[in-house]
Amino acid sequence: MDPGTWLEFLEIPEMQRALFVAALAGPACALLGTFITLRGLAFFSDAIAHSALTALAIGFLFNLATDAHAPAMQALLAGFCVLLAVLMEWARERTGLRPDTVLALAFTGSIALGVVLISRLRGYRVLESALFGDILACTWLDIALVAVLAITVFAVVGLNLRAFALSTVNEHLARLEGIPVRRLNYVFVVLVALVVALLLRQIGAMLISGLLVIPAAAARFVAPSFRAMLRLAVGFGLVGALLGLFASYHLDTPTGPTMVLADLVLFGVAAAGAALAGRWRRRNGRPGA
Amino acid sequence: MEGVSLCVERGQFAGLIGPNGAGKSSLLQAVVGLVPCDAGEITCRARRIGYVPQHVAFDRELPLTVHEFLSLRLAGRGGWTERNLRSSRRGAIAQLDEISAGHLIDRRLGRLSGGEFQRVLIAYALLDGPDLLLLDEPLTGVDIRGGLSFDGLLHHLHEHRGITIVMVSHDLHLIEHQSDVVFCLNTHLCCHGVPGEVLKPENLSHAYGHLPRLPTGAAKLAPHVHR
Repeated sequence: MDPGTWLEFLEIPEMQRALFVAALAGPACALLGTFITLRGLAFFSDAIAHSALTALAIGFLFNLATDAHAPAMQALLAGFCVLLAVLMEWARERTGLRPDTVLALAFTGSIALGVVLISRLRGYRVLESALFGDILACTWLDIALVAVLAITVFAVVGLNLRAFALSTVNEHLARLEGIPVRRLNYVFVVLVALVVALLLRQIGAMLISGLLVIPAAAARFVAPSFRAMLRLAVGFGLVGALLGLFASYHLDTPTGPTMVLADLVLFGVAAAGAALAGRWRRRNGRPGA
Repeated sequence: MEGVSLCVERGQFAGLIGPNGAGKSSLLQAVVGLVPCDAGEITCRARRIGYVPQHVAFDRELPLTVHEFLSLRLAGRGGWTERNLRSSRRGAIAQLDEISAGHLIDRRLGRLSGGEFQRVLIAYALLDGPDLLLLDEPLTGVDIRGGLSFDGLLHHLHEHRGITIVMVSHDLHLIEHQSDVVFCLNTHLCCHGVPGEVLKPENLSHAYGHLPRLPTGAAKLAPHVHR
């Protein structure tokens, strides 16, 4: 096929906007996802995303689900997710409950509330877009928000990389260096909550964790060092998001799920590559460092 | 803990012994400020303290190299850039070399053996040139051979670098061998003094509660014949 037709989708305004969102969201999610996977918080982002359905339901209740009220809806979502994330971190820190118990409480409680509210309103139809997202429906306002979000994620993580890395290795060692571990944990969960809230309508509650976690998990297979893992995860995040968008156009499949599938393909390639490299090293008598 | 009053002089090697739950680790953590001191006071004249905690729980699959780990400390406040990493390499290798662990520099932290990991932790604690080193059960997970070379390492740090060392250990031989002074703790201070005095059976049974009488003389052999 002529390369021109491969890229014809770039002439469609919806696809142009989606491309911006994918190129910004993919790497930002992957960078944050590196720390999410290393801190064992994969279900944390999932719980926030699903709980956000309640915020959507509240939005519907107050008739905020129109284009005119998009900023209000976005603010409601972000506020709800941040509040929930801070509450969960507080509960984990103060009550001595196991983190997965806190997640289950917040998750099921808020899903139940959300579904009850939605069922009172106008049936489950509104759930679909919230669950699976629609990146093609994004507006320039959404792009601007996602751009600010991506810059914030890279700036906060980049400027505090030492603190994040050391407290991920071991909180005691981090506290010995005078790193404010508690404050850092709150900053981290608020970042995750903002990412989830702002990408909910584009990627979907069911899928957002995939964009966060899969590129980082893939990078972990092949990275020889921590810094390499960060770089590889961001690279995988970008490639996966763009590849998913591209494939969804040509295969006529829903975009969010296709992005997650593209990430999974990268994950498979990384896993296979790591296995092959391991076998090669063993055969040549050089066990991995 | 209550009624614990003790003083370690500059340049001493102090051993801290006592049963589990005696408060040995808490005491060290209070000195470095990891646990708050509700009552009483701790005065520390050391300029810099190196601390090697008992358990450093971390994700073994974390792809962090020894070099990266050490550079996280050397980078100091502020960021952790590629330049930090490069400029810290020589210092990191020098510190590892001092404790015969230079070959570990590019290994992954999660793939080290127990003894290698302890050495890296000690190198980490030594990075900013401490004059006081607090070691909490440094021989956990280290085999006998590792333990013997560890003996030499402690001797070097104490005698040649002149570092004041406070070490918590259940290994009474190591304590007896290295320490100038031994403190025996069981929520209160049971006894203290030179190792030869403190480590007498009657003092130990006081601190640890009544121990079953240890067999005296040569150990009895249990013969086993392979058929």
